[in-house]
Amino acid sequence: MLNAAKSEFSVANAYRYDRRSPSRWLIAHVMRYRWFFLATLLFYIGTYAAYTASEALIGQAIGTVIEPDSLALLPTIALSILGLKLLDAVLSLLGVLAIEVIAQRMEVDSREELYANLLGKSQTFHNQQRVGDIMARATEDVQQLNGMINPGVAITLESIVGIAVPLVFIAMLRLELLLVPVVFIAAYLIAVVGYVRRLNPVVRRQREQFGKMNANLEESISGIEVVKASAQEAFERRKFRIAASLFRDFFVRQGYIEARYLPLLFFGIALGLAFMHGLLLYQQGLLRLGDVVALMGIMGVLRWPTLASFFSISLIQAGLEGGRRIVNILNTETELDQNSGGYKQPMRGEIAFENVSFAYGRVHALRNITFSIRQGQTVAIVGQTGSGKSTLTQLINRTYDVTGGRVLIDGVDVRDWDLDALRSQIGKIEQDVFLFSRSIAENIAFGVPDATQEQIEEAARMAQAHDFIMSFKDGYRTLVGERGVTLSGGQRQRIAIARAFLSNPRILILDDSTSAIDSATEDEIQRAIRQVQQGRTTLLITHRLSQIRWADMILVLDGGELVACGAHEELLRRSPHYRRIFARYDVALPPLEPVPIN
Amino acid sequence: MGFILDGLDAEAYDRQYDDRQLLRRIIGYFQPELRRMLLVAFTTLLDTLVRAAVPIVISRAVDEVSQTQSESLILTYGLLVAGLGASAWLFNLIRRSLTGEAVGNVVLKIREDAFDAVMKRDLSFYDQFPSGKIVSRVTSDTQAFSTVVTLTIDLISQLVLVGALLIYLFFVDAVLALVVLGMVPLIVGTALAFRKIARFTVQHSRRVRAEVSALVQETVAGISVAKTFRQEHAIYADFLKLNRRAFWINLRMGIVFSGIFPLLALIVAFAMAAVVYFGGLRVQLGALSAGDWYLFAQVVALIWFPLTSIASFWNQFQLGLASGERVFALIDSEPRVVQHDKRVLPHIRGEIAFKHVHFSYTDKERVLENFSLHIRPGETVALVGHTGAGKSSIGKLIARFYEFQAGSITIDGVDIRALDLSAYRAQLGVVTQAPFLFDGTVRENIRYGKAGASDAEVERAARQVGNGDWLKSLSDGLDTEVGERGSNLSMGQRQLVALARVMLQNPAIFILDEATASVDPLTETLIQEGLDAIMKGRTSIVIAHRLSTVRHADRIIVLKKGQIIEEGNHEELLRRGGHYAELYNTYFRHQSLEYIEAQRKPDVTPAN
Ligand SMILES: Nc1ncnc2c1ncn2[C@@H]1O[C@H](COP(=O)(O)OP(=O)(O)O)[C@@H](O)[C@H]1O
Ligand SMILES: Nc1ncnc2c1ncn2[C@@H]1O[C@H](COP(=O)(O)OP(=O)(O)O)[C@@H](O)[C@H]1O
Repeated sequence: MLNAAKSEFSVANAYRYDRRSPSRWLIAHVMRYRWFFLATLLFYIGTYAAYTASEALIGQAIGTVIEPDSLALLPTIALSILGLKLLDAVLSLLGVLAIEVIAQRMEVDSREELYANLLGKSQTFHNQQRVGDIMARATEDVQQLNGMINPGVAITLESIVGIAVPLVFIAMLRLELLLVPVVFIAAYLIAVVGYVRRLNPVVRRQREQFGKMNANLEESISGIEVVKASAQEAFERRKFRIAASLFRDFFVRQGYIEARYLPLLFFGIALGLAFMHGLLLYQQGLLRLGDVVALMGIMGVLRWPTLASFFSISLIQAGLEGGRRIVNILNTETELDQNSGGYKQPMRGEIAFENVSFAYGRVHALRNITFSIRQGQTVAIVGQTGSGKSTLTQLINRTYDVTGGRVLIDGVDVRDWDLDALRSQIGKIEQDVFLFSRSIAENIAFGVPDATQEQIEEAARMAQAHDFIMSFKDGYRTLVGERGVTLSGGQRQRIAIARAFLSNPRILILDDSTSAIDSATEDEIQRAIRQVQQGRTTLLITHRLSQIRWADMILVLDGGELVACGAHEELLRRSPHYRRIFARYDVALPPLEPVPIN
Repeated sequence: MGFILDGLDAEAYDRQYDDRQLLRRIIGYFQPELRRMLLVAFTTLLDTLVRAAVPIVISRAVDEVSQTQSESLILTYGLLVAGLGASAWLFNLIRRSLTGEAVGNVVLKIREDAFDAVMKRDLSFYDQFPSGKIVSRVTSDTQAFSTVVTLTIDLISQLVLVGALLIYLFFVDAVLALVVLGMVPLIVGTALAFRKIARFTVQHSRRVRAEVSALVQETVAGISVAKTFRQEHAIYADFLKLNRRAFWINLRMGIVFSGIFPLLALIVAFAMAAVVYFGGLRVQLGALSAGDWYLFAQVVALIWFPLTSIASFWNQFQLGLASGERVFALIDSEPRVVQHDKRVLPHIRGEIAFKHVHFSYTDKERVLENFSLHIRPGETVALVGHTGAGKSSIGKLIARFYEFQAGSITIDGVDIRALDLSAYRAQLGVVTQAPFLFDGTVRENIRYGKAGASDAEVERAARQVGNGDWLKSLSDGLDTEVGERGSNLSMGQRQLVALARVMLQNPAIFILDEATASVDPLTETLIQEGLDAIMKGRTSIVIAHRLSTVRHADRIIVLKKGQIIEEGNHEELLRRGGHYAELYNTYFRHQSLEYIEAQRKPDVTPAN
């Protein structure tokens, strides 16, 4: 089996491609439409044969016309030329259509494949990828595959056919005549390789420099208030000038290289030499004059294929590169194991960390953490950005597995839980609440699509979201996102809380770092969070002092270590960090007791 | 001709240049490149003549060699053709190299001018126009313009070639030349019609691509939600439908674009057959030599390519001109903030006075009406009021980011309009709501406040903010890379960097728009401590969102619709029970200790 990788989602009857290497994968995609490919090839051969034949015929016509009394032949010749030219055009059209279909299917098929594959990947995988990266693959990279086929492969095919077919015709005129064209083609191939080698780095650096210049400028303009307030216009101007001059230098250098495109020179010389060769053979009586003219016509056919093919090289390179990136994603194993025979019971909600350590590769995010939470408790996790708060919560639902120690839920190691049972009983509300561009009701009922309107409204009421939802003209049918309303952070959060109410998890992890500017909103968020805490074990990543103050337990993280743990009063006595925060409120602080955490 | 903006958004500062103005402008930029351009023109001409000569020489050769078959004649002609090819290459080389240099220089100059123009604008300009659009004018529009200049030069050389050949043909055989000429309108017409269809299909394809992108984006961003709730199938079905539609629309576009050349080839086929037929007749009549007949056939093949490019190029040409026009409009737009003098105050004490100031951003609404306010040196003033009351506007006027319409603003008794802006702003510390950091290290960002400050100075400034405790949380201390716009740092850390920047700058006047973003409590404490340090002994104007700032201010100014309605300190104002008391209840109450203490969680019954 080629694609036996584990996956959380699969499509029935999906076409299977060979993914063992990027090139095999690309070939597999093309081979899915092998008849189209074959058709393209045949049409191209046909079109070049017709084209070359028409050029040869024009040459022959000269020979004929010079003879007296050839008037009767003229209409036949003209009509034959017309016929051949029409055939050329029609076949070339068909060839282009065939390869265009492959190109477009390539884009669509690979996007489909990638999309289904992404849906099947584990959350771990998605947490590790940046949205922008994946976007680039699903849109730009697949588009490059399209461009790689047409015009990339199309031109390459055309070049091969367009060089081979005229050579056959020349050989038919007279074998010796091949001498000049063959030498030309050899020289041309060498020159093109050198050309591409010289041009590519310059083009790349030029593009990079353009990006830098753009980024520079974008930065100066976005920060214009700082620039002006610090009176640093001259500094910014100097920066821009340097970037723009560098770009100019690359631009000019590219111009030099392009101007020195040697194949053009070779072609000009080859044309002269072939002409000379033809005339010499004519003089020796080995060739008719018409054939010499035909030779020149056929040599003319070579112009386009030889001049255009270098252009396709970069397209094919880009396509291969895109293909490689896509296959990389497709082939990333998801290390997730469903553990479907594992522990599968209703969850009570006790959590215990025993000497837990965790590292992202070599970056240590958590060190030796030990604590335990009783069922139904509310725990606040505080600490600066990057201190490991989210990482800690991600170990609970096995988004990541610990690298040392263990995490227990209801006394069972999370690695022994059935993954489905574990995750379905742990809810999570992220800081950046994600809502789909659908109606509010659909968003609330996302996990329970058959929820009734009453249930949805009930959940929204508990989450303190009902009132603001009803303040919209369309109420629950209001669309969210670009085409609908823009919701504030606090509103999105409350919708997410409503969503959590409907799916009713036993453990809830809530990243409540949204800011509220006014007291009324703050009141409502507080009430919503208090509601949702009821009867569940709740972990809050929060900046709100009012929640920290009243949590059953507070975990203070600093640089991946648990520096303090306990309730408010306890921390006021023990943690200098924590005291400093409350010192601003001019409250009478108890004396500091230098007690180490157990 | 340049005013065809072709679906691209026009901006308020856009203007239409008539052809002559535009041309004069472009030529003006090419003036320093005059010598190069003359050489370009000269080599273009040579290149063309040489290239036109190739088929002519071949046709002559065929005629002559068929008469006298001398070896030397053959060698001469063969070498002549090769030599012509080689010199065409050489001329082309010179032409293209010089064009590259000239265009590169011209575009550089235009870019610099555009950048300078942008830097001179006041903030009202940046409000109106999103930064992305300004950037694209300075870089992409100039780029498009340069592409067009290069293409134009290329195209002109091709056209000259076709023209030269046609003229020659007319001398050889006028009748047959007319036959060739007959296909010109056909090709041009087809290409023009094609343009319409092409634009239509391209638009559709672009739209459907955007839809696909949006859908993929949403899926990827929301994948965790989709997974938790097991909705993958529904999402996949949506995607499939759109993806299939995208296929047909893109296929249609692909076909239109790749189909055009075979289509034009059809027209050429008829022209070719006509030339062969009529040419043959005329050879029989003796009106034409066989070599010339060959020449005609060659020209038919040669002529259609440049013709097609003109038709498809016309569009690009217009777009390029429009791009040029957009850049010039940017360069020519005028700033509103104008200083009438360049006075330098070496040591600003920090006395600020607004007298009967009228101010509005746009004609639609007055923000400040007859506004007067006197701030004493060293005073800390907190501005409070509902959103839109005009708090930030006051700060921005002090920073001279905007022009006001009437009244006066004085700094230490000197009209703000008479100050040298650079020198004045160097003594002004501004921290905005979402502080902007430049890509680079923390150290570089702090140093931005005072160019040329030593490392020790930077370090001292950093330590003055929050005791320097915040540096510990940075992975490499002061040498931590902040990333694009400071994205590697948390919001709170960015504020701390901005405060250190101001600390280093040591300004006489400090303007702070307090952040509303939520920051972890410890960082928040550090920020507050940093603020205390900065505000000490400086005139400070704070647009306040934090209760602690308001409480510690010397004077609170309560604004409503651009008017001062109350003044005093926290306790006085709260006691008065007026607008401030209402604001307190709306914005500040939840930050108070009383509120925190009141939020005790109701007793929870453990779930069973
Ligand atoms: N996906 C990841 N890959 C590598 N390092 C990470 C990743 N996520 C977080 N980190 C690092 O782990 C540490 C803890 O991060 P995090 O748990 O997000 O902290 P917090 O939630 O407190 O802001 C930080 O140093 C962060 O840079
Ligand atoms: N850059 C701007 N362009 C146009 N109008 C603006 C701009 N900034 C603010 N305004 C308008 O001016 C008024 C006062 O705004 P502002 O000074 O920002 O108030 P505040 O800081 O009190 O919220 C508001 O009505 C606002 O809509």
